[in-house]
Amino acid sequence: MSNAYRTIILARMGEIALKGLNRGKFERQLMDNMRWRLKEYGAFSIVQSQSRIWIEPKDSNPDVLEDKENAEQVLRAVTQVFGLVSASLVRRFSGDMEDIKEQAKCLTDDILAEHDYKTFKVESKRGNKRFPLASPEICVDVGEAILIAHPELTVDVHEPDFTIYVEVREDLYVYSEKVEGHRGLPVGTAGKGMLLLSGGIDSPVAGYMMASRGMQLEAIYFHSYPYTSERALEKVKDLARIVSQYSGTILLHVCNFTDIQLNLYKNSPQDMLTITMRRVMFEIAEELANKQGCKCLITGESLGQVASQTIEAIQITNEVVKTMPVFRPLIGLDKEETCNISRRIGAFETSILPYEDCCTVFVAKHPKTHPQKKHIMEAEANLDIPALVKQGVEGIETYKIERTSKA
Amino acid sequence: MSIYFDNSATTKPLPEVARLVYETLSGEESFGNPGSLHRLGVLAEKDLNESTSKIARLLSCKPEELFFTSCGSESVNTSILGYMHQNPRAGKKIISTKTEHKASLESLERLASEGYEVCYIPVGSDGKPDLPALEEAIDANTALLTFTHVNNESGSILPLDKIVEIRNKKNRNAKIHLDCVQSLGKLPIALSRMGVDMASFSGHKIHALKGFGLLYIRSGVRVQPLILGGGQQKGMRSGTQSPYLASAFALALEKAYENIDENLEKMTALRDGFVEKLQKFRVHVLSPEDALPYVLNVSFPSFQSETMLHCLEEKEIYVSTVSACSSKSKKVSYVLSEMGIRREIAANAVRFSFCRFNTLEEVDQVIDAIALIYEKYEV
Repeated sequence: MSNAYRTIILARMGEIALKGLNRGKFERQLMDNMRWRLKEYGAFSIVQSQSRIWIEPKDSNPDVLEDKENAEQVLRAVTQVFGLVSASLVRRFSGDMEDIKEQAKCLTDDILAEHDYKTFKVESKRGNKRFPLASPEICVDVGEAILIAHPELTVDVHEPDFTIYVEVREDLYVYSEKVEGHRGLPVGTAGKGMLLLSGGIDSPVAGYMMASRGMQLEAIYFHSYPYTSERALEKVKDLARIVSQYSGTILLHVCNFTDIQLNLYKNSPQDMLTITMRRVMFEIAEELANKQGCKCLITGESLGQVASQTIEAIQITNEVVKTMPVFRPLIGLDKEETCNISRRIGAFETSILPYEDCCTVFVAKHPKTHPQKKHIMEAEANLDIPALVKQGVEGIETYKIERTSKA
Repeated sequence: MSIYFDNSATTKPLPEVARLVYETLSGEESFGNPGSLHRLGVLAEKDLNESTSKIARLLSCKPEELFFTSCGSESVNTSILGYMHQNPRAGKKIISTKTEHKASLESLERLASEGYEVCYIPVGSDGKPDLPALEEAIDANTALLTFTHVNNESGSILPLDKIVEIRNKKNRNAKIHLDCVQSLGKLPIALSRMGVDMASFSGHKIHALKGFGLLYIRSGVRVQPLILGGGQQKGMRSGTQSPYLASAFALALEKAYENIDENLEKMTALRDGFVEKLQKFRVHVLSPEDALPYVLNVSFPSFQSETMLHCLEEKEIYVSTVSACSSKSKKVSYVLSEMGIRREIAANAVRFSFCRFNTLEEVDQVIDAIALIYEKYEV
């Protein structure tokens, strides 16, 4: 009797619910993304009802959520889909008030086995108005049953350690924990952007943030082997894979940048090297973005963080991009905030691995922090920029990065 | 064809070793547990005993003084921790240097945190411990001296005879542990005549296999085991022994000893030729002149260690560096720092390490490659 329930997942939509006429488009995308995200765990029926989504294993894998560890993995995957505010593992069963009390007690047993909680409350919703008791009465009865089973607990309706939720619909439901989702909008509802991805902390976060606004991602990485190692490239692939858990498949374009960098080094002044290099990178990224149907560039720049991120330096690199906006979602963030997001999405440990780049040889000791137009004119006087950009675009190798691929 | 100049990191197993392992593993009756009572166990034990005897003969010690471990680090850990823990009345002081392998240094750190006194003798620019300082440091409370026979980064050779002499003069009861991981098969080692009490070795540095280490404990020296279990190897090192790893080691050691003196001469010529040809790149040779010729540490002006490593890698030449660099911090080798080498020179250090199969032709190819690297990548 006490085990006669089935575990399913209840997810709650966020911002989408506020959409007007095109709400349907957002919802369809969200359902598609969830189906895609859960594919590796088997077949699920995903049904939307108002602002909530019910996820239930299909008959081909009925027990996938009955194993606790497995269920938590699936739940985590659900919360990684942009567009959801939270999700819960829910016990569904049928019967009457006695069954509700019994299930609520079992759930409490399981919770107390893992947590040292002292206080609780019960909340209930009655969708099925034919059910004989009203919501407040359900709460009282269930609360009483829990108190009898666990006299050490007390009720606290304001700040309980845990809450037991009861829902009465066609079937009956109890659950407790709500796991926060990553919110945002479903990927695929806001076009596609080209992320300038390095091996550092910032750019993966920038990609994640734009994806959270519904943007699909492609990425470009500038590889300077042998000044940077093969491991640095592997690390970038790992970072792209981490972001792809949220954003979906990422096409990673690796631009062989060594010869271009050497050319810049030999033919432009030291203190402007970082700027000229970034201008060429932006131009290559823009051309590739146009080719790939991306509508913007995305960078991890944050104002004032390093010499190339002063307003003058940003302006002077920005101006080479003529056909699309450059989005800089971290522009006003403190480094610590960026690190926190990086930790939350699971990228931080990978980002701080040491072999990010060995091209410190190319970094001037005293780069110009406030470059002006005339400086860049001088710096680029001896450079054939269009040829360098062409060389960069032609030397691109593309990898398809999926969250499960180990390429 | 690729060129492998990273033999201090690991070596390619000998074809004879690979064949022996294959035959042992695919044989119908050669997979037994040497501890089993049945015939297969007896066969395995016999095999193991033969290997032990052969190794003992080659290293001039008694078979019962040898123990098989999983790696050089395990042997080192067991010696240092095990001796100190087993002999609390021998004294609380251990003497070493800061240029030891991490397997030693981490063990010493552990002991220091347990309240032991660890005394680090400074090393000179030749990488050798300061002998007067050593003489002064050894006192009645000194239980153990632990040193590396040949340093893995610089190739410095320990003046072992002098150290033994000083020990004998100052405190005969102080024991010596010698880390022979890099010297085995390259310098003659006769354990019973060297004055050491414990010594550590590794299989994969001598063209045998990874996963095999050897520990020598002189008769009468008591050491607490690190691995507990079924009491194998007289309780000194529990865990089922691997007869095939042991016979691979015995075979590789035998091969290394066949022409050990000629090989040393050959490597000296190879190293000297290499050094001479490297001069045109205005390199700093960081290995001392009297180092073991199998190891050559060189600093290349205008190339950070890792950049040079990848430049060579691109040409299928494999070397090592301990100086990993990133845009934020530059870590240089602690061994080179202790030898007093300036930071900016240490940051460009590359280690070439040879084996007896390397040739002068390979040296020439590497020199040509370096010339091309300078042409293309120097900034």
